[in-house]
Amino acid sequence: MSQIQERGSTHVYKVNKISKEEMESMVARCVYEQPPFCSAACPLKLDVRAFMKAAADGDFKKALQIYEKIAPFPLILAAGCEAPCEERCRLGEIGDAVSVRAVEDAVARFGEQSRSGGVFRMKKRKSVAILGTDLFTLFLAGELEKKAYPITVFCEQGDCESFLRACVPFLSDAAFALELKRLGGKDIQFEFDRRIDAALYEETKARFDVLCTSAAAARELFPDAVILPELMFCEEQRLVCGDCEGVLDTAFGAKKAALTVDRLAQSLDPRNMRGQEGACESNLYTDLSGAKELRHIPPAGDGYTKEEAIREAGRCIQCHCEECLKSCAYLKHYKKHPGLLSREIYNNTQIIMGDHPLNKAMNACALCGQCSVVCPNGFDMAQVCAAARRNMVSTDKMPLAPHEFALMDMLFSNSEAFLCRPQPGFEKCRYVFFPGCQAAAIAPATVRAAYLDLCERLEGGVALLLGCCGAIADWAGRTEMEEQTHELLARELARLGDPVVIAGCPSCAKELKGFSPLEVRGIWDVLLELGLPEGAHALERPAALHDSCGARGDAKTQQAIRTLAARLGCTLEDTPYSGDRSPCCGYGGLTAYANREVAAELTEKCLERSDAPYISYCMACRDRFARQGRESRHILELCYGTDAGSPPDISEKRRNRLSLKNELLQEVWMEVPMVKKLEYSLAFTDEARKMMDDRMILVEDVIAVLEDFRASGEAIEDEDALLVARRRVGNATFWVKFSRAKDGFLVHRAWSHRMRVEKREG
Amino acid sequence: MAIEKNYYTIDPQGKLKCVKCGAPLITGKAKFMYLDNGFPVELPVCPVCGFVYVPEELALGKVASVERALEDK
Repeated sequence: MSQIQERGSTHVYKVNKISKEEMESMVARCVYEQPPFCSAACPLKLDVRAFMKAAADGDFKKALQIYEKIAPFPLILAAGCEAPCEERCRLGEIGDAVSVRAVEDAVARFGEQSRSGGVFRMKKRKSVAILGTDLFTLFLAGELEKKAYPITVFCEQGDCESFLRACVPFLSDAAFALELKRLGGKDIQFEFDRRIDAALYEETKARFDVLCTSAAAARELFPDAVILPELMFCEEQRLVCGDCEGVLDTAFGAKKAALTVDRLAQSLDPRNMRGQEGACESNLYTDLSGAKELRHIPPAGDGYTKEEAIREAGRCIQCHCEECLKSCAYLKHYKKHPGLLSREIYNNTQIIMGDHPLNKAMNACALCGQCSVVCPNGFDMAQVCAAARRNMVSTDKMPLAPHEFALMDMLFSNSEAFLCRPQPGFEKCRYVFFPGCQAAAIAPATVRAAYLDLCERLEGGVALLLGCCGAIADWAGRTEMEEQTHELLARELARLGDPVVIAGCPSCAKELKGFSPLEVRGIWDVLLELGLPEGAHALERPAALHDSCGARGDAKTQQAIRTLAARLGCTLEDTPYSGDRSPCCGYGGLTAYANREVAAELTEKCLERSDAPYISYCMACRDRFARQGRESRHILELCYGTDAGSPPDISEKRRNRLSLKNELLQEVWMEVPMVKKLEYSLAFTDEARKMMDDRMILVEDVIAVLEDFRASGEAIEDEDALLVARRRVGNATFWVKFSRAKDGFLVHRAWSHRMRVEKREG
Repeated sequence: MAIEKNYYTIDPQGKLKCVKCGAPLITGKAKFMYLDNGFPVELPVCPVCGFVYVPEELALGKVASVERALEDK
């Protein structure tokens, strides 16, 4: 069997560029970071989710802090806001929208004001004068005070109270008293009893850097003034002012005006660098199924009590999209939404020098495509991760270690364990049975029974093709190896007369359809036509059907398996995440090799859906569930009355493939295969067996070491009189600790490393 | 004189013996190499045939972690 060339160096300083448009278009599909609809509708951009969460937790101080970010005078805004957030609240679609404004009012009344800023706050150097009395000038003074400008308000009133009353005539007495106190606490200078006229204008123009006025004052001073509403600015007169209607519009106008003041104070064009202002659209997806309290909490009095506000805020369902994170153990493991993770993985491929911290994450995705189904926008992590793997392979930056065992396994399937023969008596065949490498490795007796059955019941000859379809190379991002596999299979299929392929595995069927023009059918379809073979039986207990990720988007196959299970007499339980939404067992995408932790979590996610035995139609799923101790059967085991038993270890999986090939060669083609027998006995302690499976060390690797020892006599004897020999096989050095036994060896321990080691002089 | 760089030292403490040569292993100079990177170390070495021994703990510990780090370069 050939070896896979390890990359020569870590000093590869080139990257294959990825299309930024391609990346952005995929990243943009993830709506996780989109604002909730309430916040999107608010021109002031209140973080309604965080506000409601704090209020629901009873933390009114925090809630008020959040509210004060957009409202320097919270009670005024809460009293007059038109609340577009409530119109867009998703709860309103199935019940009553959350009464955001009423909760804001309660928070503004009950929330303890934080001492933001304080005396040590650095004031800005540029000073601002505000002329006139209306809600706009009040809000603008509040906004600019937050930005630490030295502000002086010039008004015709004689004191603060009459100024505030003139600004907010609609405010209740109780709220007025609180807001008057708040205004008094703000660092705003007043010049009372000042008539707003040309003389004051000239005076303030000379004394201050930026001038702001109420709309009325602007019109009085400059009857022809043209106010730009998007900037709240009279360009000619260099005056910040604006016409607003309603409390919310005024608050938004004051916000825009404050930004204009910022730009003017920095001698910049107020049009530049304004960012996105005002309400916006959102594509956020919200799952409304978790909504509990659909009805609005009615206040007993004029406004909410603290308790009522807490209850109403608690109705907020905290709109956010986590559909993929809910269903995918891989995304859950990395605790990142796909938009962010994809960007990081894309960036990982573009690192010229140094560490690639996302290699492990990139190689841990099962490439199963579940996210593309559960995501409301069809985000596909498989596409991202597969492209990233191919990209890294193309620049020789992809580590071989995570995928080498699986790739070597594929080469084994397509060399020593490979078999392609027409049915005896046929030169060309109408059909070829392609069970898939995992079926031959895990359930050889089932494959044998299926092949003999198909030969007997199908007309026109059924050839057998034992090998790997190339999916493993595809998952590893090794395009060249995948193409070589496809060429091999295409050549062999042509030799058989381009037969109809009967696939035993949905992933193989998918891979074969991807490169071969031949008709590819699932064995499940054939069995439905032919009828069940003799010996077919049902599982006695109700079972959960696990859909293979290879059959995602293939409703026909999913249905065929269900029909087959029904004909067998199986009772199938409904499970969440079935059909197209089915999760991967952990084998897909080579996760089981590249990241065992994530693979185990993926398996766990599959098994948590039901306590019943699992029926699957992919042998890798069957194997992984059985390894977790779950009663697990492949549908073909039920059809053929076979039982693959407990899951084989990595060496047994190889031996099963070889034995199947040799048995069939003898039984069907009457050939006596060459079977190499060891000239000595070889035994393993239980610990060694377990250790080897865990460390991906094959019996063949151990044999290679021992053969070397037998030839060279090179070994170390340790303090327990055990011998330790080693040999370089491919890209790894294997070490075996053993003792001599009768006619052979007993293996105690085995380990390996990829680094080469040699003696150095000096 | 420049001090020679050495990343790791294991002393066999006379507990290991080369089967082929019959000689006890001594602390000797060796070198790990991976992906075009080299690391001088001192490992149990047979003074006669030069067999370099990599104990299990070293292979699964330090060596494995350096391999992982280099693979992600």
